Amino acid sequence: MKPISRRRFLASSVRAALFGAYAAGASAFAQSAAWSNWSGGQRCQPAGRYDIGSEEELTSLLRNTLGPIRPVGSGHSFSPLVPTDGHLVIIDQLSGILDYDSETSKVTLGAGSRLGDLGAQLDGIGQGMINLPDIDRQTVAGAIATGTHGTGVTLQALSAFITSLRLVSPNGNIMDIDSSDEDMLHAVRVNVGALGIVTQVTMQNRESYKLKKREWAAPTEDILANFDELAANHRHFEIFPLVYSDYSLVLSIDETDEPIGEIEIENEPSDDASIAESLGLSDNPTPAQRRRQSNATASRIQATESVDLSYKILSNVRNSRFNEMEYSVPVEVGAECLREILKTIYDQQIEVNFVLEYRYVGADDDWLSMSYGDHPHATISIHRAASEDYRPYFNTIEPIFWKYGGRPHWGKLHSLTHRELTQLYPRFGDFIQLRRELDPQGRMLNPHLRALFNA
Amino acid sequence: MKPSLPPAFYTVFISLILSSCASSGANSPDFDQQFRPPPFRDTDIDDQIMAKWSRSCALCHITGEAGAPIVGDTLEWQRRLQQGEQAVLNNVLDGYNSMPPLGYCMACEISDFRAMIAYMAGEDR
Repeated sequence: MKPISRRRFLASSVRAALFGAYAAGASAFAQSAAWSNWSGGQRCQPAGRYDIGSEEELTSLLRNTLGPIRPVGSGHSFSPLVPTDGHLVIIDQLSGILDYDSETSKVTLGAGSRLGDLGAQLDGIGQGMINLPDIDRQTVAGAIATGTHGTGVTLQALSAFITSLRLVSPNGNIMDIDSSDEDMLHAVRVNVGALGIVTQVTMQNRESYKLKKREWAAPTEDILANFDELAANHRHFEIFPLVYSDYSLVLSIDETDEPIGEIEIENEPSDDASIAESLGLSDNPTPAQRRRQSNATASRIQATESVDLSYKILSNVRNSRFNEMEYSVPVEVGAECLREILKTIYDQQIEVNFVLEYRYVGADDDWLSMSYGDHPHATISIHRAASEDYRPYFNTIEPIFWKYGGRPHWGKLHSLTHRELTQLYPRFGDFIQLRRELDPQGRMLNPHLRALFNA
Repeated sequence: MKPSLPPAFYTVFISLILSSCASSGANSPDFDQQFRPPPFRDTDIDDQIMAKWSRSCALCHITGEAGAPIVGDTLEWQRRLQQGEQAVLNNVLDGYNSMPPLGYCMACEISDFRAMIAYMAGEDR
């Protein structure tokens, strides 16, 4: 066993004394590595990490410890939702299908289930999730708590498909919440882990189904001109605008009965392709050269189609890690906001190696949902490689989101404070009041959340 | 919902977000020759660690998603372990390529990671 330095041992002892050691039930760790999120951008060395094996262990932990508690799922939040010097609670063991109803297509799941593990399991009982985010490594609890969403103008965030859930409050009381108290359900689904710890959820699914995905490249303005119609005509429709380019990658997904498979569709290269051949690729292109090169490359992209089970089509694996900022804006100003971001990148020659992402998400009633309200929202995402400093890029773009009334994704990077959030989320004050009632001591808060909720 | 792209596209947009999972080692032509069944009974990995492994590492290391070395692919694991076990362990703790720090196992101790590496590499411990 690797030796622990005296200094580290003393530091751990002091933290344990401050935050309270926990002796029974869930195990603390003798030799812990520091915690870090997926991108590596958020880190902490908690006083204790507890691998919860049952609700009883969790209630006992909450009742028998002092100090801060933060739940952790898969660590896919880019924002500092998790970091704590107190106790980190892991609910990975509370996972899997606990119960299901074939008639109503509902399933009760351990909240520590990872979305990526559920597809095949649900298919095995004849069910499929109505929508999925494009990364499926998150736990159900984490995805819901952060308002994580997929794509589709009529498809709401994942939280909206939760018909009931079990919340263990910060003082260790078990609360079962369902539509019999609709307001409470809307309050606790998107909870950023600040109201307690969700241990199980019941999710509205549908019968297992197949989807057909079509991918192609097209001029961004052509797509934006018809985006509302395209979004309405496809179950899922989104674009990935290329920076320094007039093109976007386009993705539509629709339900199908066609056999599973993949085909590449021959397409005629546009004139842009011959421009690229005549230009060649230069090492240090000007923005204008880069635009011509990008357009030429994009115009050569062949359309592809593939058919598979829904969960295999909706989510993808990432080959590299990154940090991300995502805001939602009203659909009426979505295209304008996107254009301003693309123009800013071009005009300021910001070095960006990632595409943007632009899509619609259905409206819902969850208090902290970025699509709260009567109308769908457009969401726009920007990315920076995990190894690079994201701040100069994100700091330049973020004010553009604010200009269009943007609401931040809770799991992604943003710099808004309590004052702005109160303006953006009509029920923000109600959420803060509920949080105070459930957690008067603020045990579930870390410095980031304390600032957001003015606690 | 990220589309996969033709390889030519990467000549300009190398680091695009649009990575697909097509890099699985299972697609390589000599996969059948390289794959060895994991030596479950010979490796010191208890049920508790195995349960943690199945909730974390298994997500990618069974199928080879995102280029992850496949459990039981002893040749590939030996190639990586030539750098030393500590180097492989550090990759787990710090993250490597698309594998996040701690490899999705927030509940793992360092000793767990050592056992998991040995298990996936098919090593006797």
